[in-house]
Amino acid sequence: MHISEGVLSGQVLFSGMVLAAAGTAIGLKRIDYDRIPHTAILSASFFVASLIHVPIGPSSVHLILNGIVGLLLGWGAFPAILVALTLQALLFQFGGITTLGVNTMTMALPAVLCYYLFGSMVHKRNSIALFGSFACGAFSVFLGAIMVGLALVFTEENFFQVSTLLVISHLPVMVIEGIITAFCVTFLKKVQPAMLPGFHE
Amino acid sequence: MRYHSHMERHDCIIDTLIVLFFAFFFLVSPDPASAHKAIIFAWIDGDTIYTESKFSGGRKVKGGEVIVYNLDGNQLLKGKTNDKGEFSFKVPKKTGMKIVLLAGMGHRGEWTIPLEEIQAVSAGETGTATSKEADVEKSEKQARTAPKSGVSPDEIQMAVENALDKKLKPIMKMLAESREHSPSITEILGGIGYILGLMGIGAYFNYRRKSAGEKHDNADASKK
Repeated sequence: MHISEGVLSGQVLFSGMVLAAAGTAIGLKRIDYDRIPHTAILSASFFVASLIHVPIGPSSVHLILNGIVGLLLGWGAFPAILVALTLQALLFQFGGITTLGVNTMTMALPAVLCYYLFGSMVHKRNSIALFGSFACGAFSVFLGAIMVGLALVFTEENFFQVSTLLVISHLPVMVIEGIITAFCVTFLKKVQPAMLPGFHE
Repeated sequence: MRYHSHMERHDCIIDTLIVLFFAFFFLVSPDPASAHKAIIFAWIDGDTIYTESKFSGGRKVKGGEVIVYNLDGNQLLKGKTNDKGEFSFKVPKKTGMKIVLLAGMGHRGEWTIPLEEIQAVSAGETGTATSKEADVEKSEKQARTAPKSGVSPDEIQMAVENALDKKLKPIMKMLAESREHSPSITEILGGIGYILGLMGIGAYFNYRRKSAGEKHDNADASKK
């Protein structure tokens, strides 16, 4: 779901950059120094995830993993995703430097939203935790598709058409990421619950 | 959130496990070197420009919009790719061209054909004889060779050019395609390296902050 260079208008690019900068500033402020390794590892996972191509569905899509990044990092998802997207743009030519702000917003904002929506569910009963983490993984991809649709409103006239297309083509990715997130949460709950959000000893 | 030292060790193990998990995922995926990016290739054959569009995963772009601009940014013509992702058009003008692909959902690809390429091909088309001197030379040559072989050099030239065009077409296409490469393992590992480097910088500042804090604590304790 990278938006390429030269598609969006100047205003959209600029507002994307401003918002992404604000989000990154909040994120950097909120990251505990001791959690920098977590941020880096999730950033690396996000960076590599876009290379995993999902050959199902009508369009060409790849894993995004913004759900698990958001769930484990909260606002820290902004700097993590910004760094990963910068490297993807420089090394793989996915997206672009000018669209970095917009792309960061479309991926990181859903991540943070899902952190607030589902973060508290992971410490509840197993079935609730499982549902919450699956929903977190799937819903963040869904929101990402909606965000890309919003960003394209000013260039591709029909918002509903573009968003529907994006959501449909990302259905398999949603399912896969839901499963991955559920798997990670169950695993972390057993071995290292302190990594999950809102953990109190 | 503060951790005890045994928790930190535990953390390391978990982190390693997560990385291994993703590394495994990445290695077993059948088509790791593909992702979401739209690419358009164009090559000239005679007076026609052929283009082929695809996503970097190898999927063809069906019904993508192709817009041809000259190098000043004025639109020359516009069309849609067919089911094979192809779109071809006659050279509209002898000018450099920028061919833009809009594949929808924010995907855009670009290919530039410089003026020299178009000139080179059109020169080949009309024959090498462009100046009067060359014409004279040519007619002299023709006079010398024509009676012997029965085939005029012009005809030979045409035949050779046609054959070359036909034989070179797949090679042109291959060359055009090979200009676009998918992410290599070096780039992937390089990117991960950068992230780990940033983490190192963070850890360094964390260490400085912590040791400064400890000194401060010690000073406080000695005062008491």
